[in-house]
Amino acid sequence: MRMNNRNCGVLHLIGILLLSVFLMTPEPVSAQEEVASAIRRYKEYEASTGYYEEYEVLPRRQQPFVDIVGVKRNIFSYSSSSAQVRVRTRLADSHWGIKFYNRRRCEDCHIRETHDFHTTRANLTCRQCHGGEPIASINHYFSPMNPIRRHAYVCAKCHEGASASYATYIVHEPPAGSTLARETFPILYYAYWFMLVLLVGTLAFFIPHSLLVGLRELFKNKR
Amino acid sequence: MPTPMRIKRFSLLDRVFHFFLMLTFLIQTVTGFSRTFNATVWGKKLSYLFGGYENTFLVHKWVGALMIAGFLIHTAYLLTRIQWHNLGKSIFGPDSLVPNFHDFKHLWQRILWFFGMGSPPKLERWSYWEKFDYFAVYWGLPLLAITGLMAIYPLATSRILPGWSLNIAVFLHRAEAVLAVSYIFVVHFFIGHLRPASFPMNEAMFTGSVDLEEAMHEKPAWVQRLKDEGKLETVEGPSSAPWFRVLYFVFGYAVVIFGVYMLINGIIYSRYIALH
Repeated sequence: MRMNNRNCGVLHLIGILLLSVFLMTPEPVSAQEEVASAIRRYKEYEASTGYYEEYEVLPRRQQPFVDIVGVKRNIFSYSSSSAQVRVRTRLADSHWGIKFYNRRRCEDCHIRETHDFHTTRANLTCRQCHGGEPIASINHYFSPMNPIRRHAYVCAKCHEGASASYATYIVHEPPAGSTLARETFPILYYAYWFMLVLLVGTLAFFIPHSLLVGLRELFKNKR
Repeated sequence: MPTPMRIKRFSLLDRVFHFFLMLTFLIQTVTGFSRTFNATVWGKKLSYLFGGYENTFLVHKWVGALMIAGFLIHTAYLLTRIQWHNLGKSIFGPDSLVPNFHDFKHLWQRILWFFGMGSPPKLERWSYWEKFDYFAVYWGLPLLAITGLMAIYPLATSRILPGWSLNIAVFLHRAEAVLAVSYIFVVHFFIGHLRPASFPMNEAMFTGSVDLEEAMHEKPAWVQRLKDEGKLETVEGPSSAPWFRVLYFVFGYAVVIFGVYMLINGIIYSRYIALH
């Protein structure tokens, strides 16, 4: 009887301890935690810590489509109804209508936009400038990215004193020698070709020139 | 056996300018490459030499400021060297580095000589490729300085120019740096070290003088002009003290190895970054 009572007390103590452990430690989660909601992407956590998208993990099944080897499928099929979601520079939600949007990451589609200085050097993530969901189109009237207020709403967050002129800096600049640059940023395009011709021209002249000098002097010395 | 005679080619100030340019150029190469390649393992390692990405940028900016100061001082020095009462001859004369008609003639004669179709050109004090070396730096430095200053002070720049001029400035800064680095580490080093006439090292830029025999072969018109004008002043004896020779040989080869290392790694790692 006495033993039983003591056991009972010990069991109670263990029970209370276990309960407090469950109550005080965070709930267990699996390592591959998914981000289901595009609207609440750890927004509070990100804002409080300053680390953006560090803890975002892709779903296990990355590609919802059945792949055909060697064929790259786009997210839009080529039909008249899907054409209207391809023109999206003035939408309130620029990603409106994209299939499986909340299972995608920005760089799935915008790969070129991840290669500029702001991303590779300043280590910025997309959302630090483009904001949370829904991301308005660049030219939407109320968009923070609209050129009429971009300098104040976006650039000036880091670059104190940014002016409208300053905000015409092209963050996602096209590859300097590309046809895209010729259409959208011709001065960069011609600067690229000027420097390339200068570089290639200088080396194409002086490397053979130096080698020929070397060869000629070599044979002169041998004689 | 007669002792070798030497004639003066570079003043002490010329050599100081060159040495200053060497040091600053090399520092700008490391710090600039470490920034350009910062997305790669190699670029990160380079930046650790200067205490990380931010410090590397700081060093790059301050050494850039030193180079601008050097450029201004050098330009002021050039202005003192111009004989204003004899302007034409002082700018286009044989002691000037400004290209003139003879350079094109010499280039053509030299191309013929490469293929055994003529005698080598009778070069004056500065050959056309030495003039090219000089002016490559003299136009490259202001370009790098202006675009660099634009990038350091983007807000001030955007007050004068549209903001997209910063895209152009950053591109030009990088392209000109690639041009300068590849020219110096390939062509300039080959001319200075590897070609048979100067192998293992062209010592003129460190000792200030050249061997008279050598100068008669390389720059016959120069020696002839000095003789005609009665200005041929020769110095007897060896080029420099042995310790100084050892010093600049070690330094010169360290620089060559460093340059080749930077160039090869730059080519290898350029695949992993968006260069333009």
